[in-house]
Amino acid sequence: MHTFSKRTWALAGALVAGLLALVLALPATASRTAGPTIVIWADASRTPPVTELANAWAKSTGATITVVNKGTDPGVIRSGLSTVAAADAPDVIVGAHDWTGELAANGLIEPLYPSAAVKADFPKYTLDAFSYGTAVKKLYGMPTTVENIGLLVNTKLVPKLPKTFAQVEATALAYKKKNHLAFGICVQQGTGGDAYHMYPFFSGLGGYVFGTNKAGNLDPSDIGVANPTFLKNAPLIDKWNKEGLINSKADYSTCSNAFTKGQAPFWVTGPWADQSIEQAGVKFRVMQVPPIAQAAVPFLGVQGVMVTKFASAHNVDAAAKDLVVNYFSTPAAQQQFAAAGGRPPASTKAKSTDPILAQFSAASKGGVPMPNIPQMASVWTDLGQAWVRSTKGAGAMPARRSFIGASKAIADKIG
Amino acid sequence: MSSVPAPAQVPDQPVFRPSLIARGIAAFSGTTGQAVKIALLAISNAVAAWAIYVLISHHRWPALAVVCAATALIDWVYLVPRKWTLPAKFLIPGTVFLIGFQVVPILYTIDIAFSNYSTGHILTKSQAIDGIKINSLEQLPNSRQFDMAVARSSSGKLVLLLHNEVKGGEVYVGTPEGLTPIPTGDYTLNELGQPTSAKGYTVIKGAELFSLDQALRDYKVPTTGDSAIEPQGISNAVELTPTLRYDPKTDTFVRLSDGTVFRDNGLGSFTAGSAELQPGWKTYTGFRNFSQMIHDPLIRHPFLSVFLWTFVFAASVVLFSFAVGLFLAITLNKKGLRFQKLYRSALIIPWAIPAFLSLLVWAGLLNDDFGVVNRVFHIHVGWLFGGNVVSWLPFITWPRIAVILVSVWLTVPYFFLVSLGALQAIPEELTEAARVDGGNPWQIFKRVILPLLMVAVSPLLIASFAFNFNNFNNVYLLTHGGPYTGTSAVAGNTDILITYTYKVAIASATGGNYSLASAFAIVIFMVVAAIAAFSFLQTKSLETLR
Repeated sequence: MHTFSKRTWALAGALVAGLLALVLALPATASRTAGPTIVIWADASRTPPVTELANAWAKSTGATITVVNKGTDPGVIRSGLSTVAAADAPDVIVGAHDWTGELAANGLIEPLYPSAAVKADFPKYTLDAFSYGTAVKKLYGMPTTVENIGLLVNTKLVPKLPKTFAQVEATALAYKKKNHLAFGICVQQGTGGDAYHMYPFFSGLGGYVFGTNKAGNLDPSDIGVANPTFLKNAPLIDKWNKEGLINSKADYSTCSNAFTKGQAPFWVTGPWADQSIEQAGVKFRVMQVPPIAQAAVPFLGVQGVMVTKFASAHNVDAAAKDLVVNYFSTPAAQQQFAAAGGRPPASTKAKSTDPILAQFSAASKGGVPMPNIPQMASVWTDLGQAWVRSTKGAGAMPARRSFIGASKAIADKIG
Repeated sequence: MSSVPAPAQVPDQPVFRPSLIARGIAAFSGTTGQAVKIALLAISNAVAAWAIYVLISHHRWPALAVVCAATALIDWVYLVPRKWTLPAKFLIPGTVFLIGFQVVPILYTIDIAFSNYSTGHILTKSQAIDGIKINSLEQLPNSRQFDMAVARSSSGKLVLLLHNEVKGGEVYVGTPEGLTPIPTGDYTLNELGQPTSAKGYTVIKGAELFSLDQALRDYKVPTTGDSAIEPQGISNAVELTPTLRYDPKTDTFVRLSDGTVFRDNGLGSFTAGSAELQPGWKTYTGFRNFSQMIHDPLIRHPFLSVFLWTFVFAASVVLFSFAVGLFLAITLNKKGLRFQKLYRSALIIPWAIPAFLSLLVWAGLLNDDFGVVNRVFHIHVGWLFGGNVVSWLPFITWPRIAVILVSVWLTVPYFFLVSLGALQAIPEELTEAARVDGGNPWQIFKRVILPLLMVAVSPLLIASFAFNFNNFNNVYLLTHGGPYTGTSAVAGNTDILITYTYKVAIASATGGNYSLASAFAIVIFMVVAAIAAFSFLQTKSLETLR
């Protein structure tokens, strides 16, 4: 009797196990039988436009597309691509141009060859931003939107836009005194440093990160962090530090606080700050930082779409390339990407209707795409720290010494 | 409130009832237990069945064998009653989790540490060779681009209809043999310039076109020399010229322009001198990462001071948090204290807020120039950016104090709870007896309470030490490891080993040097394991108290 009940239990157990297994395995088999499907990885903010566009494309071509929302941090897509199992890997990813070098060096993305007609719609720098190669330079992504920082000017405090850097400096120092601020122009840094936000000042003094070689590729052995022109102009940083024009202890919240309360007249930031300022009711305009020793251009960021090497393994390579190169590049698609992301479109055929974004676009003139070679990993902290050291107020290190040190440290790291 | 008379019960003498756990076990030993067991086994089997299905589809045969054997073993142990398998019933769940969450990650880390897994070295060699071939194709300045349609000839062979993109460009039929022009009038183009029809050919569209993916990828229409027209997508084709040729016999790449030979350098790359072909591949490189830790001046130089600070950081956080936590626990354990629950709840708040948030808030509060702390107290302390507290003690800096203070703030609730629990477990008779024997409160605490407390708490102190030894968040979110002395941003003043590892391996060179990071992780693991082992041996002596 006792053993019989045990057997019954075992039998029941096996039955339940079988049923559960069936239920669990079912969705996996269902997706496999539907035939070749293009899988796209996009971050949360770009998932809606990508889904909409992809569905429209799928309808017209008869392909199936799955868009996977990878959450708010796009970095997950970048790191996920190198660890994902081939079966679950995406065929197309939505990402930023500065991933290009790393992903191409890893052999994870495929070169693209858009027609001359398609290429003509894009500013050269947006295509350069997605191009990489140590020997043969190739295009690895189609740009969708662009972004850059600019100098935000509170138009109530400064009704007439300054024309020269001297005007910016004088106005900033006047308000610093009047409102008892610890800075004149707010440039977010913090202990970690932030090379992206200080770059306009760095470039305005003649600094650059990497030079280009004869083939037009970025050259990691040509580091311009302490180039002679920059070093000649670097004492200006010490002057700004002394008079308190710039203070590296300010971070995003400090700047946001001071600007939205109408105390600080100038803030160097990007389109992501728009909403909070508008909500605070502060009227502002965006311009490029006026030339210092030379044009003070910002770093440019370009977002775009790339085809992964997994597309071949999934036998959707041709379809994925067509979607990325010929469909996501159309003005209508670009418009949709731009509208959803709150950034200007990359294509010159599509126009952003938002006046603030148009001002940001104007402030990008002459800008430099963030270097997309993987050696950039060695640069961010050291370049940011060089700035932090020289602009932290009392006890700051003279800029020349600081940037020469940083340049050496970067060269050591790159090795 | 209720008028129902209370049952006759003496409140001070509760009826004897077995503890909750004992009752729980009792409840599970009958039919309920049998049912739960079967349900859990069913889930385990279902997961195994699903894993088997996935493993078969990925052709992972050794893993498949392991899963099958493990599942069979588990079922057998729980379903076939044998006296000698009884201990296994209790050990198996723990062992499974131990293997899954401890042993496998450690083995994987060791595997990575002895490889070159890093940016540019993540593929297999054959994948890397394919990648190099694709990357070596060059689009020459005079190479042609075509609008393309895929078609079949009357005999059913796959051909490309190619329309040269240049203005007034010709239309050709491309086959593996070469290009043949189509006379004007024998084809039609759409508004984008793509051929839509051609005499004698059927254009392929829709699903059939997508099913030809592999054929299109391999399709080449030879032109002059090594150049060939290759489809790119379903509506474009480009004339490409290889710059490298792979020779499988010698396992080398030869650059066609100057005959340079790129050889496998044994470290996962094809190199010729300092020139290296991308991508590379993952391979095992022995103790290379460990020797880099010793020999690379960039790493070696700050290692010792970082190590020392890591030790001081972890030890002082544990020590201070435990001291404060215990003090609060003793204070709030006093009988008859009003609002006791309120105080206790309030003390747990730092623990309840996600550390990611509170750390960033602290970074703001402690900002030298803009932080509330300095402003409210009208002081200027360089909490995050500042230097030495006293000039003759360069080791103690304000940022280090700030990191410790905030970490203590975050850890105190844990030790408060733990100490409170341990205190309440100490029988009151012991303290009573000590008091009767004339011990003063300090003596009672030192001689009776503390030793008994330590028996329970010391393993937790060791665990907390190990945790803080690797407390990346507290350091990185507060100071990013800074401030930096000198001009190198490799090791900052508050960098502990794990944040330093991040900077050396992930934010250096070409980034993403996971193999070096794994080598570091192994070293850190050994350090922590040694410290923990030593401490556990020490605490053994405490247990003799029992």
